[in-house]
Amino acid sequence: MMPQTHEPLHFAFVCPLLSGLHARPASHLAEAANQFAGDCVLTNKRNGIVANCKSVLGIIAADVRHGDLCTIQTSGADQAESNAALKTFVNEVLPGCDVPLPTPGSPKASRIFPRTLRAAKAKFIIGTPLSRGIGQGKVVNVKRMSLQAETKPALNGQLEFERLREAVQTVCDRLGEQLKYSVTPAGSAILQADLAIASDVVLLQKLSEQVRQGRSAAQAIVETGEFYIRMLQNSENEYIRQRSADIEEICWQLLQEVGGTQIATPLELREPSVLVAETLGPQQLLALDRRWLNALVLEDSANTSHTAILARSLGIPTLTDVSNGRLALPSGTEVIVDAIRGFALPHPSPAVYRFYERERQTLHRRKEAWEQRAGELGGTADGKRLEVGANASSVEELTLAFDNGADGIGLFRTEMLFLGREDAPSEEEQFAVYAAAARNAGSRPVIIRTFDIGGDKKVPYLNLRQEENPFLGFRGVRLYRQYSELLQTQLRAILRASAFGDLQIMFPMIASVDEILEFKQAVRQAQQKLAQNGTAFRPGMKIGIMIEVPAVAFHLDRLCEEVDFFSIGTNDLSQYFFAADRTNSQVASLLNCREPSFLRFLAQIVRQIRAAGKWVGMCGEMAADRRSLALLVGMGLDEISVPAAEVFDCKRALATCQSDDCVDLLAHATESRNSVQVDELLSSQPISQNVMLLPEELVLLTSTSKTKEEVLQEIVDAFYVSGRTDDRDSMEEALWARESEYSTGLGHGFAIPHCKSDAVRANSICILRLHEPIDWDSIQGERVRMVVTLAMRKSEGTNSHMQVFSSLARKLDEETFRQSLLNFQTPEQVTAYLGEQLGLLISPEPVNSSPSQQATPRNRS
Amino acid sequence: MKLVAVTACPTGIAHTYMAAARLEKVAKTFGHEIKVETQGAMGIENKLTENDIRQAQIAIFAVDIEVEGRERFNGVKVIQVPLQEALKNPEGIFAKIQR
Repeated sequence: MMPQTHEPLHFAFVCPLLSGLHARPASHLAEAANQFAGDCVLTNKRNGIVANCKSVLGIIAADVRHGDLCTIQTSGADQAESNAALKTFVNEVLPGCDVPLPTPGSPKASRIFPRTLRAAKAKFIIGTPLSRGIGQGKVVNVKRMSLQAETKPALNGQLEFERLREAVQTVCDRLGEQLKYSVTPAGSAILQADLAIASDVVLLQKLSEQVRQGRSAAQAIVETGEFYIRMLQNSENEYIRQRSADIEEICWQLLQEVGGTQIATPLELREPSVLVAETLGPQQLLALDRRWLNALVLEDSANTSHTAILARSLGIPTLTDVSNGRLALPSGTEVIVDAIRGFALPHPSPAVYRFYERERQTLHRRKEAWEQRAGELGGTADGKRLEVGANASSVEELTLAFDNGADGIGLFRTEMLFLGREDAPSEEEQFAVYAAAARNAGSRPVIIRTFDIGGDKKVPYLNLRQEENPFLGFRGVRLYRQYSELLQTQLRAILRASAFGDLQIMFPMIASVDEILEFKQAVRQAQQKLAQNGTAFRPGMKIGIMIEVPAVAFHLDRLCEEVDFFSIGTNDLSQYFFAADRTNSQVASLLNCREPSFLRFLAQIVRQIRAAGKWVGMCGEMAADRRSLALLVGMGLDEISVPAAEVFDCKRALATCQSDDCVDLLAHATESRNSVQVDELLSSQPISQNVMLLPEELVLLTSTSKTKEEVLQEIVDAFYVSGRTDDRDSMEEALWARESEYSTGLGHGFAIPHCKSDAVRANSICILRLHEPIDWDSIQGERVRMVVTLAMRKSEGTNSHMQVFSSLARKLDEETFRQSLLNFQTPEQVTAYLGEQLGLLISPEPVNSSPSQQATPRNRS
Repeated sequence: MKLVAVTACPTGIAHTYMAAARLEKVAKTFGHEIKVETQGAMGIENKLTENDIRQAQIAIFAVDIEVEGRERFNGVKVIQVPLQEALKNPEGIFAKIQR
């Protein structure tokens, strides 16, 4: 401490910042104070806490809130200067130190926020759905890992101190470097605050003190971190409590530096949770307790990363591209993640809960409605067969797939068995997994892909070099020659397991005929070994290849002579085709599988393979993309393999396709100029014409909705459950657009909302009767009991359905007609009566009533 | 009295036709003879001929959008009301005509 030659100087101020002196303003104040040699002390008069003004942590710990009276005391030789400078800072700079970071609700992209939620004034954060679904729980920020360190004591105090100092230096340097390249103001602000903490004098003092007392550098970091975290968490200011995460983050980084290696502490979940992270690796995701993991919110992730694939296959709702997710969703926040629409809703109000409770029921009803038919589905409306298989990487997933009605496993990945471990999995270990897969599948085929590992994965026992360009490098089958024993082990395990079911082998990344000849020889070798030992296996197991390398598409005639089946891996095939890295979000948009060039390429591949009489499936992301489905049907694939959780939805969508229409559609699509035109073409496709105008599932006679918003939502949901819309929000908007002209209340307790929109997949009438009449915003203020909805496709133009709509509108003017509608007891009565009155098609014609007997052969050989 | 009318609404799915039905019904109770042309999603239906218009004493436009072929009504007295009026208070329209 400097010798005090003068009386210290004081000045007082009232904290002008709404969030108090939290990390960011505190870092500015500390920065200002650190310009001077003398001491600067801040006292919070409200709670009496005295803090070193040069320490961000100290200032934060003083818990200065909006309106608190504080004093700053300066002493030392330069006290006059420091007093003046800090006074100026507090009066002029500090009030502007808290530029608000982006907060929930600032829209990033234009999209439809559901009417009911808008009416409830719900707050939301926008993201991109990566894995569809809705999840709810308490936020767990991945940043907040519990600090742990090995308990071995320090050996050499000086050495520990050096390690500590180096660690602090490295972390500060890294933050400084990141700060240089940070492009968003919000990102810079956060990095600045982190840097201020890392370079905090008090933090370093505290750390050194711990080492002096004989602790190791790691222990010192843990103890110091915990000390400050406890202190901040005691704060009454929620914002400051949340900032303990910043300290945790810094300590975590320091710990990694002194430890030298990454200490992977598995995150423990104890209640329904929503994980919020910047990014998350597949291994980290797999390590989580999925019983409690209800949703994921990621700040950044390119569209087809492995995490996304995994999240989809596990059915974990995932939202990505959520900027400042961790800031907007601090740990402990209750949140609903809507990864169907692309929103996260923190602090949901009762109205929001009610909305999502209905949503849950709607999704459940939709699933149920289709589930009972899922087993028998698997073809188009006109009975053309298309198997819907599933992708799986575990027996658990495979079981889920079969529960959802999968016709087989089109891709069983085996990499997961090889990753995240010190040595290769043994034959027995692998056999157990493959045998379980075979047993669970029964008679259904399971295509097992041999390990597909490359330079982008760290596998200690493989000694793979870090590559400049791992996707074009040493990966897939290219490893097999060098690791032939590994391949033999896997092949033996698969062959043995084939005794229990229809297992088939598929090789990834095949680029030439010679390669497949080589690996067929490898299979024979494994078979011979098993035969010598008298071990059972299924002879004549089918062998196929992935189509990922464009080269093979030009050698299919020869390949068809050598293999039994093909599966198109669109993820890799498209990135090689377009020369665009799918993990690079800056070029990911080039990778549109609906570009006419790629569609032509695919169509040609399928045509050639089918002409040779061989089986061809598709297992990439494109297979599960609902927008592409009609095109895939048009190509004439034998199978599509989709994430387990999406099998049933895929079958349902498939059942609405007409194969002839799909062939025409593909022909038009391949002639289009770009994917935008293709998408326009696809969205104008009606579902098959023999769908009834008024099905019983659209007669809702016992509605308990309480508001107009809820009624319209219920109607749209009924359309969704029946498969008559996939875009509920657009359909709802179209209905509301009409309501905004003037209320559709008719008088006599009737309302007739209507819309013309292509979000509706088939012209429909919906009849809804309310238990209790509700207000319909009509000018006369009359209450409405009966809601007759007319929904028409926009692009359809004039047709016979319009005739029905207009006669229905006229009929509603008749007292007897209205009375009848009000009095019917069952949906059957309603449809029969309207059928007779309006000349509707009343005999139900299920969409998929008679699958034709001439389905495509399932034989793969 | 001989009357003609045109109904038209923005979507042309529902109200156009309901208003037509309402006008036809209420006209009868007032002892008028009426022919209603609808301009909706199906285009023009029950089109008023030159003869219909010439014979009519009054033309009622119950419309929220521009009437197609408005020039056909040159020389005829036109009463124009919002379409809602024909649904909510058709009697009022005819009472006005009476006066």
